[in-house]
Amino acid sequence: MGGLSARLMEELNCETVFTIPILGGIDVYESVVVTWIISAVLILISIFFTRNLKVHNISKRQAIAELIVTKLMGMVENMIGEEGKAFVPYLSTILLYIGFANIFGLFGFKPPTKDLNVTIALALMSIILVEAAGLYYLGIKRWLHKFIEPVAIMAPFNILDIVTRPMSLCMRLFGNVLGAFVIMELLKIAVPVIVPAVFSCYFDLFDGLLQAYVFVFLTSLYISEAIE
Amino acid sequence: MSLLAVGAGIAVVGALGAGIGIGIATGKATEAVARQPEASGDIRTTLILGCALAEATAIYCFVIALMIIIMLQ
Repeated sequence: MGGLSARLMEELNCETVFTIPILGGIDVYESVVVTWIISAVLILISIFFTRNLKVHNISKRQAIAELIVTKLMGMVENMIGEEGKAFVPYLSTILLYIGFANIFGLFGFKPPTKDLNVTIALALMSIILVEAAGLYYLGIKRWLHKFIEPVAIMAPFNILDIVTRPMSLCMRLFGNVLGAFVIMELLKIAVPVIVPAVFSCYFDLFDGLLQAYVFVFLTSLYISEAIE
Repeated sequence: MSLLAVGAGIAVVGALGAGIGIGIATGKATEAVARQPEASGDIRTTLILGCALAEATAIYCFVIALMIIIMLQ
């Protein structure tokens, strides 16, 4: 028990990889470095797929690229609806990033979404986008009026929503990734062969991708609610 | 230590609600598919989404139990 909790503690802590020696030293955490690796992988995939694009006589590679982009965009557009088309590229980027981050544990990296700082940053980005979209689409007067809908007595709850929404977004993602990780560690101690591989399919692949989908779905739900 | 373990156990009791909720949702989804098999694709998507949202409460319980064990030790 003591050994396990010490190990969990060590996994919970995000280690500092190196320190940038300016402004009194900026710590660069492991999650940031893994995020850079994910960005590099995504950029390399994009470059590979978008070389030599043509209008006629397309290559197989371009066909695959077009298929991926249309499917991804179509999926996000289904969630947010016709009027929120401007947000589709941002939401698909977030979907790709969280999806890749969650399944990166399979390749021996620490998933960056297991660091609470990363999920807090993602949730803050989402809530700022939601409120900014409301302000931009409705104008300040109608945006303020949204707080006393449907009745004026709901105002405190509507204001509380601004705090609870990002909190539930970041805690859901963090808790799911951490929970899957802890259960996998316990399984590896109990049964070291074969069984972890089966459960890894559910916890790492299915649950990771599902949580990415849920995060984007909730963000798009909030946005479409804010701009209507 | 033993009281901490009891506390963590009590915290996870909250997962009961998530279990009941997901059970009800799955039961209703089964009924819906039985009534309208052609809509099974839409129903499956909605069900998975609802389960993921309901599961979040159980996840909160788990995080709290973990925090009790790790932080209060």
